[in-house]
Amino acid sequence: MPPGISASDFYNILPELVLTSGALVVLIVDVLLPKERRGALAWVTLLAIGATLASLVPFRSTHVEVAQGLLAVDQFALFFKVVFLVAAAITVLMSVRYLEIEGASPGEYYFLILCATLGMMIMAGGIDLITIFIGLETMAVSFYILAGFIKPSHRSNEAAVKYFLLGAFSLGILLYGMSLMYGLSGTTNLRVMAAAFAGQETDARLVLAVILVVAGVGFKIAAVPFHMWAPDVYEGAPTPITAFLSVGSKAASFAMLIRIFLEGLPSMGHDWRLLFEALAIITMTVGNIAALTQSNVKRMLAYSSIAHAGYVLIGIVAGTSRGITATLVYLFIYAFMQLGAFAVIVGLRRADVAGEELKDFGGLHARNPFAAFAMLLFMLSLGGIPPTAGFMGKFWLFSAAIDAHYNWLAVIGVLNSAVSLYYYVRIVVFMYVKKEALGSEPATSPTLAVVLGVAVAATLVLGVYPRLLFELADASARTLGAAGVTTSLR
Amino acid sequence: MLSPYIPIAIFVVVATGFALFTLVFSGLLHPEKYNKVKLEPYECGIEPLTDARDRYSIRYYLVAMLFVIFDVETVFMFPWAVIFDKLLLFGLIEMLVFIFILVVGYYYAWQKGALEWV
Amino acid sequence: MHFPILTSLIVLPVAGAILVLFVRGDEEQSAPFVRKIALTVSVLIFAETLLLWSRFDPSSADFQFVERHAWIPAFGIQYFVGVDGISLLLLVLTGFLTPLALLSSWESVHEKTKAFSIFMLLLESAMMGVFISLDLFLFYVLWDAMLVPMYFLIGIWGYDRRIYAAVKFILYTMAASVMMLLAILGMAWLHLTTTGSYSFDLLRLYDLKVPPHLQFWFFLAFALAFAVKVPLFPFHTWLPDAHVEAPTAGSVILAGVMLKMGTYGFVRFAFPLFPEAASFFSPALAMLAVVGIVYGALVAMVQPDMKKLVAYSSVSHLGFVVLGIAAMNTQGVQGAVYQMLNHGVSTGGLFLIVGMLSDRRHTRQISEFGGLKKVTPHLVAAFLIVTLSSIGLPGLNGFVGEFLILLGAFRWDPRMAAFAATGVVLSATYMLWMFQRVNYGPVTNEKNTRLADLGRRERAIIVPIIALAVLMGVLPNLFLRPIEPSVARLVNRFHQNAPAHLQVDARPSAIGHQPSAISHQP
Repeated sequence: MPPGISASDFYNILPELVLTSGALVVLIVDVLLPKERRGALAWVTLLAIGATLASLVPFRSTHVEVAQGLLAVDQFALFFKVVFLVAAAITVLMSVRYLEIEGASPGEYYFLILCATLGMMIMAGGIDLITIFIGLETMAVSFYILAGFIKPSHRSNEAAVKYFLLGAFSLGILLYGMSLMYGLSGTTNLRVMAAAFAGQETDARLVLAVILVVAGVGFKIAAVPFHMWAPDVYEGAPTPITAFLSVGSKAASFAMLIRIFLEGLPSMGHDWRLLFEALAIITMTVGNIAALTQSNVKRMLAYSSIAHAGYVLIGIVAGTSRGITATLVYLFIYAFMQLGAFAVIVGLRRADVAGEELKDFGGLHARNPFAAFAMLLFMLSLGGIPPTAGFMGKFWLFSAAIDAHYNWLAVIGVLNSAVSLYYYVRIVVFMYVKKEALGSEPATSPTLAVVLGVAVAATLVLGVYPRLLFELADASARTLGAAGVTTSLR
Repeated sequence: MLSPYIPIAIFVVVATGFALFTLVFSGLLHPEKYNKVKLEPYECGIEPLTDARDRYSIRYYLVAMLFVIFDVETVFMFPWAVIFDKLLLFGLIEMLVFIFILVVGYYYAWQKGALEWV
Repeated sequence: MHFPILTSLIVLPVAGAILVLFVRGDEEQSAPFVRKIALTVSVLIFAETLLLWSRFDPSSADFQFVERHAWIPAFGIQYFVGVDGISLLLLVLTGFLTPLALLSSWESVHEKTKAFSIFMLLLESAMMGVFISLDLFLFYVLWDAMLVPMYFLIGIWGYDRRIYAAVKFILYTMAASVMMLLAILGMAWLHLTTTGSYSFDLLRLYDLKVPPHLQFWFFLAFALAFAVKVPLFPFHTWLPDAHVEAPTAGSVILAGVMLKMGTYGFVRFAFPLFPEAASFFSPALAMLAVVGIVYGALVAMVQPDMKKLVAYSSVSHLGFVVLGIAAMNTQGVQGAVYQMLNHGVSTGGLFLIVGMLSDRRHTRQISEFGGLKKVTPHLVAAFLIVTLSSIGLPGLNGFVGEFLILLGAFRWDPRMAAFAATGVVLSATYMLWMFQRVNYGPVTNEKNTRLADLGRRERAIIVPIIALAVLMGVLPNLFLRPIEPSVARLVNRFHQNAPAHLQVDARPSAIGHQPSAISHQP
């Protein structure tokens, strides 16, 4: 074995290896199965995800660097990997019926979902710019294709092209920033880089690098003013993919953001905090205000997801271990409520009805009480009303902001969540209150019911008893950095 | 500090100068007689048969892309072959894994009919 | 370990709601059964609150029946509940009004009965929770959670403009309360900096010395949330809409219990937590309260719609409560707490009566009625007693509360008391005028000639209200006795921490002083 690599390195990336093998199996099974039985691929995919989750078990308390600092296997990465895999599993369950209706071939679809998940896992573990970038590309390329997966749909094509062009452009900017970071420190490893920059005076070129990386990452998390792609892509992409994009891709990008800035650039904390503070404020405000007037629910959720990126940034700005904990908690909770909301939209999709407009939700309560109740819960949770999980998440974020003396950020945050209530309540009005409006009959399927059940249970349970999640997230946040807690965590 | 760049600068100047010189000089010298045949574009010395704005089968792109994908693998195999004697069994296994993944993709493309020219 | 009676007040309605959820069958089959379950559960809860009262030690000012469990230890958040003299009777009031509200909707709510019963029970659970929580986080959770069932009650079973009213209600109250969340977080953080650990425990936060400039902001944040809920002039605009559009049951609960949460919040949280700021702001609060008393009365006078009239009378009556709290002496606060109960009984009763009339005629316009005395004598008799109790006739409940409040206000600032007293006169004017137009004179409208008098169900609703109104008027000490020790302790503690409050002349004279002004006070 060549120097620098050992057998234990391969053991430590076991989950990634399992997932890769699973993806290949999906590809092979796809061609082996006769065409009419390819629906079974969903189960193969779920099996692969389940196997990957199982393979994470031995790494519950591992804290090592793989291949001399290419990847970190720690609880921080583990936390995110669980989020990604759960999100992927829910997406797969949502997709079964959706693909049948759209008549799309499931083989590549599930394969690409697994590839995207693999990319996310690498992003969360990456502590080297190269690894992070490879993970990011793996994820992004998969999503470019997935966004355009409904080939006959113009909107889907538009979504794919927009996402691809803007995504490629933003990756270029990110890469430029990364190359500057490398040039100034002489290393791509974030932890070595932090040591190299420590105690240095602020270099104008490094500030430029920070700005470029913030712009590149800002695109990925859909922060204003790098958000323009999100509404169009979210609206056009197949609904399960929109859900996965808004949850998985966003969470992975936040993991990358935390790794790069907290592990790699703690010495520049003052500069990037300021940038993220400004981004958080505009992102929350613009996202919420733009969402107020949307009549397409997918588009509305796109703007709401922009706003939520703003809330999550509050935790990053606080930058304390409580702030990072809050970020992790929020992303975890957000995954369930956002996926659940999209699952309801998927349920409304029928051969002849898009099921995305507000009026399609009209009188849903009478036609499918459970779906309406689930949607109600997700809306309340997104709006941050107790006793749902969303409230707990927001509470943690705002408390982190106050702890770190970012009082105004907290004030703007709560004001925004009050504004956001308006458009979340609007859906509730359509579902429950409007008697005359009648949308389409929702078509439920067992898998969709499972998705809704899981999401509802998570939203309620985490809203009443969030203690375990808080403790897990806290333990995960504390493993950041080589020595355990990064220096920038105050 | 910039001294290592001096050869590069000289190289750039010489290269640009040479290109400019040949273009301008031949432009001054050559006789200017045109006829139809002389103005026709040609590729690889063969006269054009049809209009250039022709339809291609979509298959062409598919095959072309597959070609690029499987061609690029050589980029990875070449450095491996150069230091094969140092990597030994480990390198061999790594490369087999790599090839295996490629083969899966190839098999998939094959079964999906990407290689058939209808 | 004794029986967790307070927890059961939160859990029992939820359990009832879940039970209702599992009732099968379509509307026609399930509705009667569902109504009975909900009513049984709510009567059971009322019995429980009475049991609580009988076990309550009225001589103690401490919190009783305390339960305390860790909830989110990392942040010092507890499940911490208890009851003292101030909250005890509010619990009983909630328990009393919920079955009546359910009964009042027995026939008028005839669609989605299941959902209606579920929301009523969930609402009761959250309301009980608000009154007993002694952990600020728990309090905020329930405070916000309460909005959702109320939103649905207005939005689904309300009248024509119900959607507008429901959305306005939830947005207005939500927007006002988010700032309170930040202030709560700020208190927890302050506890961290002074003692080294987070805490949302109300009793520990009472002992916290809050710096004056923080008191200023925190008090404002709390006061905004409570003032909208009360509603204090000029934050009252959501109330007429919500009341007018809400179904009878919603109005009863809204006026009877939910408005009290604002005033309860002042007494329990805003004043004792931030005494100096409260002392600084209380003249302004009292001023708004007095303006609200007069304004609410004047606007009520010209309302053509009975329900709107009662709604504006609530603005006026709750002005008295806030005035009593702002005075912060024993009489004032005691009167305020008593008046909260009175208002719950008499305004709840008024809404029930208006609901009965509206069930019969499907209109609430005063001009549509007239001469009902001859047609429905029993209904009118009940109407008269409830009206008089709302005006504050001696011998009925309203008198005691208003008298105590005016007494307290007079001791604190005679000018305020003088202005507020006009509200008493005005309230007699608009209530009696309305009563006269509806009930006396000839029967002008053809449709009114054949109206039915009180049915058995309606008697079951209105008799307890009248009985309680008389009881509270004749034996006020029965109710005031448990209140007194807690109020006395509250007032004493307040004056220890804000000694400037009693010195009427040294008090800052104008509203809108610089924030630093309160820091000059000792």
